[in-house]
Amino acid sequence: MNFANPWALWGMLAAAIPVLVHLFDRRRPRPHPFGAIAFVMRSQKRTASRLKLKRLLLYTLRTLVFLCVPLALARPSCAPDAAAAALTRGPAATAIVLDASLSMRLRADGNPIYEDALDEARAAIGELLPEEPATLVRCGVGDGPPEAPGFDRQRLLSQLDRWEQAGEEFADLNHCLTLAARALDESPLPGRRLVLISDLAAHGFRLESPAPTSKDPQGADVKPEVVLRPVGPEGQPGNAAVVALAIEPAPQAGPGAFQLTATVRNASSQALKDAELSLQVGGVTLAKSFLDVPAGGTVRKSLTHRFEQQGAIAGAMVLAADALPEDNARAFVLQVAEPISVLVVNGAPAAQRYRDETFFLEPALTAPGTPVRSVFRDAEAGLKEDLSAYDVVFLVNVPAPDPEAASRLAAFVEKGGGLFVSMGDQVSPDAYNAVLGELLPRRLRDVRTAAEREDADVERRAGRITQVQRDHPLLAPFSGEAAEGLEDARFYRYVLFEGGNQEGGTVLAAFQDGAPALLIGQRGRGRVALFASTVDRDWADLAIRTAFLPLMQRMAAYLGGGLEERERLQVRVGTTLTLSPPERVRVGAVEGPMKNVPFRAAEDGSVVVGPLRVPGAYVVKDLEGKVLPSLGFAATLGTEETDLARVQRDALQAWFGEETVTTAGENAEGREVPVWTWLLVVAALAFLGEGLLLRR
Amino acid sequence: MTLLDAQTLARLSGVRLRARAVMEGVLSGLHKSPHQGQSVEFAEHKEYAPGDELRHMDWKAYGKFDRYYVKRFEHETNLRASLVVDASASMGYRSGALSKLEVATSLAGALCYLLVRQQDAAGLTLLSDGAMRELPPRASAGHLNVLLEALEGLTPKGPVNLATAADHVAEKVRGRAMVCVFSDLFEDGPEGLKRMLSLRQRRNDVVVFHVLDPAELTFPFEDPTLFLSMEDSARIEVNPREIRESYLEEFGAFLAACRGACAEAGVDYELVRTDEPLDQVLLRFLSRRQGRRR
Repeated sequence: MNFANPWALWGMLAAAIPVLVHLFDRRRPRPHPFGAIAFVMRSQKRTASRLKLKRLLLYTLRTLVFLCVPLALARPSCAPDAAAAALTRGPAATAIVLDASLSMRLRADGNPIYEDALDEARAAIGELLPEEPATLVRCGVGDGPPEAPGFDRQRLLSQLDRWEQAGEEFADLNHCLTLAARALDESPLPGRRLVLISDLAAHGFRLESPAPTSKDPQGADVKPEVVLRPVGPEGQPGNAAVVALAIEPAPQAGPGAFQLTATVRNASSQALKDAELSLQVGGVTLAKSFLDVPAGGTVRKSLTHRFEQQGAIAGAMVLAADALPEDNARAFVLQVAEPISVLVVNGAPAAQRYRDETFFLEPALTAPGTPVRSVFRDAEAGLKEDLSAYDVVFLVNVPAPDPEAASRLAAFVEKGGGLFVSMGDQVSPDAYNAVLGELLPRRLRDVRTAAEREDADVERRAGRITQVQRDHPLLAPFSGEAAEGLEDARFYRYVLFEGGNQEGGTVLAAFQDGAPALLIGQRGRGRVALFASTVDRDWADLAIRTAFLPLMQRMAAYLGGGLEERERLQVRVGTTLTLSPPERVRVGAVEGPMKNVPFRAAEDGSVVVGPLRVPGAYVVKDLEGKVLPSLGFAATLGTEETDLARVQRDALQAWFGEETVTTAGENAEGREVPVWTWLLVVAALAFLGEGLLLRR
Repeated sequence: MTLLDAQTLARLSGVRLRARAVMEGVLSGLHKSPHQGQSVEFAEHKEYAPGDELRHMDWKAYGKFDRYYVKRFEHETNLRASLVVDASASMGYRSGALSKLEVATSLAGALCYLLVRQQDAAGLTLLSDGAMRELPPRASAGHLNVLLEALEGLTPKGPVNLATAADHVAEKVRGRAMVCVFSDLFEDGPEGLKRMLSLRQRRNDVVVFHVLDPAELTFPFEDPTLFLSMEDSARIEVNPREIRESYLEEFGAFLAACRGACAEAGVDYELVRTDEPLDQVLLRFLSRRQGRRR
């Protein structure tokens, strides 16, 4: 006997009500002097036995009503005796496969259906025959292979007690069923049985793949008997999820502003109306919006927010909770650039603005929303500035500084400052080599004129950047269509550099003739960039190309150490992430929603974190407990578990093999016998009988 | 609704007023009846004896014979009525405005009025608390006051014995008389009613006014009730709904037995409900008798 609502059985205590009322509700009868009492006494005597019988019948009928109604509400149904069924088929080695995927966290009646699954697993263990060996297979990412089937039931139950929660990953039921079937290979019993406890969500099965098979004692492949124990609501439970999150800077909204675009998918048959989507950081809602998502549809929604603080920001885009709230939030970690102070030393100022060396550089560095704070000086004044007030110095077409200024520049870089040097008519290679030769990534050789701007065949002869190191953070954005802005630029004249044998010099971009266009080098704690041409239109037209502004912005950020030197780090739950900490920095801890995040240092200096089991934002700390903002990352869920629609029963049966599949709790005809309807009929008849007796 | 319904009569204090009201109601009804114009006829002279009515003194005969004679009339000589009133405790029951005893005494008083008004002799036999009080029949107007006072002083108490009362009446009544019994006939056993009815065998005119309360006839109780006997310490707790059917059967059989016994003995039987107008009861009774006389 199975009960759909066992809690309703408590209602059967109400059966005591008629007796209790009889025992305790002794209302004092009203005394009434009556002349014809002799007739009353005679009537009472005459009807006493009949009344006694009637009263007994009334109690019986009322008790029956109070018993039958709660019993019917508990929705009992008769299931065939599992042990008897097993006897007819013979004992079988059994593997119980417990689905522990994310979708098993679905709430039904307030509790995760995984709890029902655990109960089903315990019931399945309880229904095993003594001579049937059994093993458990937890189907989640990272769960090890099953043990060989054994007879220690207590061990299995203890295992279940440890598996108290479903995971947050996608689970491949095909793989788990195959593992389970293999675990039965060694059993000497002829029978093999797989008990699958799952929500039977279609995403867990790959029905185009072969069904799991086991080997019998003779080594032949056999289809195991499959017992399905479905849990969770029938049909397609409604579920919506944030399946993707794109983050882009939004300079139009000011410094530190970002546009976060969430992709929301509604995997249910009901349209989602006025669902709240909020941007949360540290549990505080910073912005929110409402969206409608059609049934089975996907909608993108953007929220723009300007973050006041700099550095790493960990937060989440959160959709209003539903029955599966885990996939309603998508974590992120973004870097808000800190302000960068830049001193631009202009070596070729001009009274006519358009002839000025910084005519194009100035608007590029002072673009709206930029974290760059620029100060423009001519060469004489600029080289005398107190450099400690700046993060980066741009020397644009500046004559070679005097030795004192050069040594101050070298000290500035050594301490961590950034130096950008661009060429021009004011730059003498020899003079530069003399005072800045040690500081620059490479020594200057001479100027090469590829073409004159007025030449007819300038298009053909002008130098073009053809080799770009796009794996470097500085040039990473200049790929695809964005590369045109860089590669289409024409260079009429550029400086050639000495051979690349100096320490730290890296060619990030080169012309078609192989001459470096952009070099970077590390000097002490600082960085130096060397650009082979001008930042105005004298030697090249890069300044009027679309790549110029982002290139200069990124240059300032890179040299100032504020450029996010990696793609935004994201890792999928259930997998590992490789981090590349800065040199001489050692990772001491990884902290986030998952406790005791495993990590290990690799030989190449990288750190492998995970596998991560819990989605959310994680921070990485060094050995001193200091947060390393550039290494923060977000662990996100896969999107496979969003759609909770059940697999078609017919398709599943066809996959396993029609004759091998049964569903627990169903009888030979595949149906449970509902008893509760008959109980309601009995209750109704008892109620009717009670009414008739009262009327008599 | 009549002026003489139970509610109105209940507002009149005392048997005297109620009986008079009933009597006047009856007379008003009689004006429309065949009794109209009936008169008293002279029958004989009788030598005066103390106690005779002085207004019936025949002064002409005194002048002629020098002896006192009083006139005697046909009616006066024909009817002597004895009214037996049961004042047992059960007669004190009431579910409405009037108890059974109040109804019985009102009816008896009204009859006394009528009888004395037409020069008939009326007497009372009052039964209460196992005792009996006798007021012999007389036709004088003064005697009416005595009768009404006796009725007024009657209180329901204890059991009564109708059989003893019947024997007593049989012993006292001389010649042909009318005996009216006002009772609920609840006393134990059928002997009392039988003895009363046996008066009919002595050529007496017997009338039984069976006075009952509507609650006794219909048993309208719903909630569990502890019924207490009004004449002894008996009590019983019952759910009236459960026994109503049986009670009504029992009571119906009792009524049928009473009515049957009366009919068999040739005795007039009047079932009197305490909630019906009493003048109607008397008019019904008189009409029936008139009809039978024709």
